[in-house]
Amino acid sequence: MSEMTMNEVEIETNQLSSKDRAELEKAQPMWKMVLTQFMDHKLAVAGAVIITLFMLVAIFAGTIQSITDIDPDAQNVGNRYLPPLTTAQVGQDVRETDIERYITENPEAADAVQKALVEKEIVAVAEADAIYELGAKETKEAISALQSLSLKEAAGFISLFKSFETFHLFGTDELGRDVFIRLVYGTRVSMGVGVLVAIASALIGLLIGSIAGFYGGLVDTLLMRVTDALLSLPHIPVLIVIAAIDMSKIPWLKAIISTSNESVFKMIIILCLFSWMSVARLVRGSILSIREREFVLAARTLGAKDSTIIVRHMFPNVIAPMLVAITLGVGESILFEAALSFLGLGIMPPTPSWGNMLNNAQELIYQAPFLAILPGLLIFLTTVSFNYLGDGLQDAIDPKAIRR
Amino acid sequence: MTTFITRRILQTLAVIVILSYVCFYLMSLMPGDPVDMMVASNPKITAEDVARLKSLYGLDQPVYKRYASWMGSIVQGDLGYSRTYRVPVQELMGPRLWNTFLLSAISLILSIAIAVPLGVLSALKPGSKTDYVVNLFSFGGISIPSFWLAIVLIILFAVKFPLLPAGGTQTIGAENMGFWADIKDRSIYLILPVLSLSIQQIGRFSRFTRSTMLEAMRNDFIRTARAKGLSRSTVIWQHGFRNALIPLITILALSFSGLFSGAILTETVFAYQGVGKLVYDSIIGNDYNVAMISFVISVSMVLLMNLVADILYGFADPRISYQ
Amino acid sequence: MLKKFAKGLCLVAGLGLSTQAVAAPTNAELKIGISQEFETMNPLIMSMSASAYMYRMVGRSLVVLTPDGKWVTQLAKEIPSLEKGTAKIIEEGGKKKIVANWEIIESAKWGDGKPVICQDFITSHTIATSPTVSVGEKEQWTQVEKIDIDPKNPKKCTFKYEKAKWDFFTLAQFFPVPTHLEKPVFDKYSKQKEGYEKNSNYVRNPTNPGLYNGPYVISDVKLGSHVAFAPNPNFYGKQPNIKKVIVKLIPNTGTMEANLRSGTIDMISTLGLDLDQALAFDKKAKAEKLAFDTHFVPSVTYEHIDLRLDNPILKDVNVRKALLYSINRDDLVKALFENKQQVALHNVSPKDPWFTADPKIITVYRYSKREAGKLLDAAGWAMGKDGYRYKDGKKLSIVFQTTAGNKTRELVQVYLQNQWKQAGIEVLIKNEPARVFFGDTMSKRKFEGMALFAWVSSPENSPRSTVYSKAIPNNSNGWSGQNYHGWTNATVDKDLEALDLEFSAKKRADLVHEILKLYTAEVPVLPLYYRSDISVTPKNLKNYKMAGHQFYETNNIEDWNLN
Repeated sequence: MSEMTMNEVEIETNQLSSKDRAELEKAQPMWKMVLTQFMDHKLAVAGAVIITLFMLVAIFAGTIQSITDIDPDAQNVGNRYLPPLTTAQVGQDVRETDIERYITENPEAADAVQKALVEKEIVAVAEADAIYELGAKETKEAISALQSLSLKEAAGFISLFKSFETFHLFGTDELGRDVFIRLVYGTRVSMGVGVLVAIASALIGLLIGSIAGFYGGLVDTLLMRVTDALLSLPHIPVLIVIAAIDMSKIPWLKAIISTSNESVFKMIIILCLFSWMSVARLVRGSILSIREREFVLAARTLGAKDSTIIVRHMFPNVIAPMLVAITLGVGESILFEAALSFLGLGIMPPTPSWGNMLNNAQELIYQAPFLAILPGLLIFLTTVSFNYLGDGLQDAIDPKAIRR
Repeated sequence: MTTFITRRILQTLAVIVILSYVCFYLMSLMPGDPVDMMVASNPKITAEDVARLKSLYGLDQPVYKRYASWMGSIVQGDLGYSRTYRVPVQELMGPRLWNTFLLSAISLILSIAIAVPLGVLSALKPGSKTDYVVNLFSFGGISIPSFWLAIVLIILFAVKFPLLPAGGTQTIGAENMGFWADIKDRSIYLILPVLSLSIQQIGRFSRFTRSTMLEAMRNDFIRTARAKGLSRSTVIWQHGFRNALIPLITILALSFSGLFSGAILTETVFAYQGVGKLVYDSIIGNDYNVAMISFVISVSMVLLMNLVADILYGFADPRISYQ
Repeated sequence: MLKKFAKGLCLVAGLGLSTQAVAAPTNAELKIGISQEFETMNPLIMSMSASAYMYRMVGRSLVVLTPDGKWVTQLAKEIPSLEKGTAKIIEEGGKKKIVANWEIIESAKWGDGKPVICQDFITSHTIATSPTVSVGEKEQWTQVEKIDIDPKNPKKCTFKYEKAKWDFFTLAQFFPVPTHLEKPVFDKYSKQKEGYEKNSNYVRNPTNPGLYNGPYVISDVKLGSHVAFAPNPNFYGKQPNIKKVIVKLIPNTGTMEANLRSGTIDMISTLGLDLDQALAFDKKAKAEKLAFDTHFVPSVTYEHIDLRLDNPILKDVNVRKALLYSINRDDLVKALFENKQQVALHNVSPKDPWFTADPKIITVYRYSKREAGKLLDAAGWAMGKDGYRYKDGKKLSIVFQTTAGNKTRELVQVYLQNQWKQAGIEVLIKNEPARVFFGDTMSKRKFEGMALFAWVSSPENSPRSTVYSKAIPNNSNGWSGQNYHGWTNATVDKDLEALDLEFSAKKRADLVHEILKLYTAEVPVLPLYYRSDISVTPKNLKNYKMAGHQFYETNNIEDWNLN
């Protein structure tokens, strides 16, 4: 008998093609399957790459600043609204301050250079003012003058003067600040707000949705009515009210909020208040359907606690749709932040965010269209990427998904 | 069915009252009332002026009393007086509501007319070139900041190629040109706002249609229907689409909640004479009566649409019945 | 498919390119763009600038201030004065009062042909002082105690003023309303709260020509959209040249230029563009040779920073002076405004007869980082290693607030923040929407350190409400007054009280100079700059002269000419 069975099995396995066999052999863990599935969705992968890139930019904004040596707050009001790819020199007051500092640090070199400058009649002022006089000139001219001295002490000054020249990849804004580095920092703020809001609101939604779905009855009715009410409330008035609250007056918030980042926190809280509802509904829906499933009944019969059932048995089943919801939520939050900034309720300057940069620029779109187009494009690109990423994840995680 | 509807209407009314109180309370929480604003803009106003105006406006009363008196006059059909524009609220809001309705309804209908077929089309051939293009378009639509799009549209079609007006509602004096000329004039002004409002909606709706349709087409009864040898179109529309309809109705009904807030941005950029802009201004300027009426209308619209959606479910899905 | 699309695009583009350049406007019609909202134009109740701008086209007052800063007559035959004996000081119940004779010019008529009579002033006085009508600033009405009509001539009357103030004749906002139209409404509804406001002809029937006595009457009005004006055949002066004027509301200043270029509007009013936009437009208009002129006219709008004087850091006058020394206002005006706006020395504008720049009278603060450093060192704020100053371990850090969404202010704010940083002063920006900023933070004196905003005034306007010690808002005075900084100075108080009652122009100037001396010495406020009024007009518009104060240039609209 047993041999017989063995044979049958043998026969059955024999019926498999070699290809099937190979596939069986490399039976994959879940995450690998998801990954393979995900990699098939080309645009989702592209989205993931773009997002990773922006994330890196956001995280390493400080490093980018030190590499490029451009301060996002450094103003240069003599060079406002410069077009992209232009070189400018920093304002004269900044130059004077820097020269003064350098001279006090290197008095001997300064002496030698000053003397040489006057001797060679490059400048026609007293020795003490010679270098400042040079500083008032065009930087290029000043550098060639210094080079013509062929003094070894001048080397330090040449590099100092060279640092007065700034290159603006994306031009400058209304205060002559570098748009590129502000966009870099804006990435940090906008992405940060987007990601934080999406995660926080997903957690709130998870909590409320699971409580409502699991307990049902009165609790469910109550929570869902609140959700519905919030969904039907017009958002703008409530947002304005919140914008008027001085959050630093709330004691436990005071520790993390300082005046300079208050608007960012306010933004996050405002957006959270209005974005958890869809997740709550989603979670409640899945929990409702899971609640009656056999494995939950089994767990309950075995005497598992409510919290155990929710956390151990139900959460894993809602994680996938949640992940998708978070991803899609980031894009939405970024858009929402931009819209609020458009109404003047967003993140306060001088902290740059894509939203408020766009807002600042929109009135001058005819004069400096680049200022408005760039942040708009970045918002667009990020949101599209997050949406594609969410789509890809959905397809990859959902076992019933249509294969591409 | 009738009892269900009556019950729901009563519930809705109760919710409207509660929410309107919440709104009223929220507005009272905001610092600064119309009199404070007046003082700030005019150094000559005296303390007596302030006290006099506050009692005239009833601002010295507690919130619940103010709410009660406001509610009382609403029930009597008096919607109050706009302190910003110095006209009765009815006169102010009537034409603007109509304008916003026109803008929203046209873009909603346009969006549905474009998005639903697109969504179904891409759901039928998932992974195909069509699907790919539709997806690209809808994701693009969802992700584009609408006011940015509006500004770009103005630059393109009003500045670079001056084909369309940069903003406004209609040509001044065009009201008397006759019916058709009037309609033509209004539509010229509507093209850009409708376009900028629709693109996002099209994206959202077509994504949604696609996913619900995909879901529906996966059902066993579709396979059965196919196996029975029913024609392709019957399978798609009678069996597939009908099942996709329910979630679609929900999302459409819910999209009405964004009607006012969504239109605010568009209306501001295009200087369109709608209610969205008015709502924003009335809140900023603490024009209580206007803001409250707008809240109530907006909340009622959403609740009403939810009710309509619930009723429509019954037609879309015979399994749902109301007792 | 693609080809078709491309063809379509080409067609569209071709159409666009073939459209003609916008023709210059003629006297047949002038369309003015405005970016601020307007309200119903009842002269007694309206409070918005845009309404005041338009009302000057349809309504006239007894006297008005010209763009050159002179008081001239409009509806009145002459300005009463003590010297001529047309006004005299009387004593009544121990109080000094003024009685002045006013006579309305013979030809002054309402749009329906009825004459403008003294009774019309009595009507508006009655309505405006009624407790059921929400008039904002009542003092300009209550300053006139009583109006008596000459029984022989309905156009002649005497005004009795509550106080003997030198500026009793400056009744530029004391507008009449037509008794024959408005009195019945008021009588019928005056018992009801806001009953008159809801039922006034200005609301119910705004195109009734009888409501207006200016060069134009309103022919069409749509709130939030536009107002159209047609010439008033019964106007007392010369008939206007322009046959139709439309004021169109374009709330988004960003699209204002597009509207101008596409011919939707012909000119942009004073209440239109931001300075930055105007500067950019001006350059482009010149480069592209567009047929527009951009006007920049210094106004009396005073942008300044109020310092909270009870703030522990700002209590010290040295710190306040250092704040002023460490900002380069000349550079600010040059770099950000291209010298189209003027640096402010104090709260009296250069347009004002009371103005002085005499260094013997006022303290002038020239930008000097060194001076600022010395003052801060003297005040005990020593420079720390991080580039900020410290005293007793506390950082020199001040909160700086302004109205969120006001582009120019936010720009200036960030610019100043950067300059103070170089002087070792940390400035934290905390902006709020205008309604919160003015409605609560300022009016309830909740601002912490510095607040940037503007005062709009007119020449020879007493600064009483902003520097008088009793004008410090607090709970006991019902939060009224605008002395937000909280400056108290006995001499200033005394001078302010004397100023109102001083009939000699020379002595008035001396009093103001004494106030300015103290104002600039004690620095309760950092003066920044005077705003400029900006407008864009077609090149062929003649006789257009901007006012630069609250009595707008539309007052001369009958002279405007587009030929």
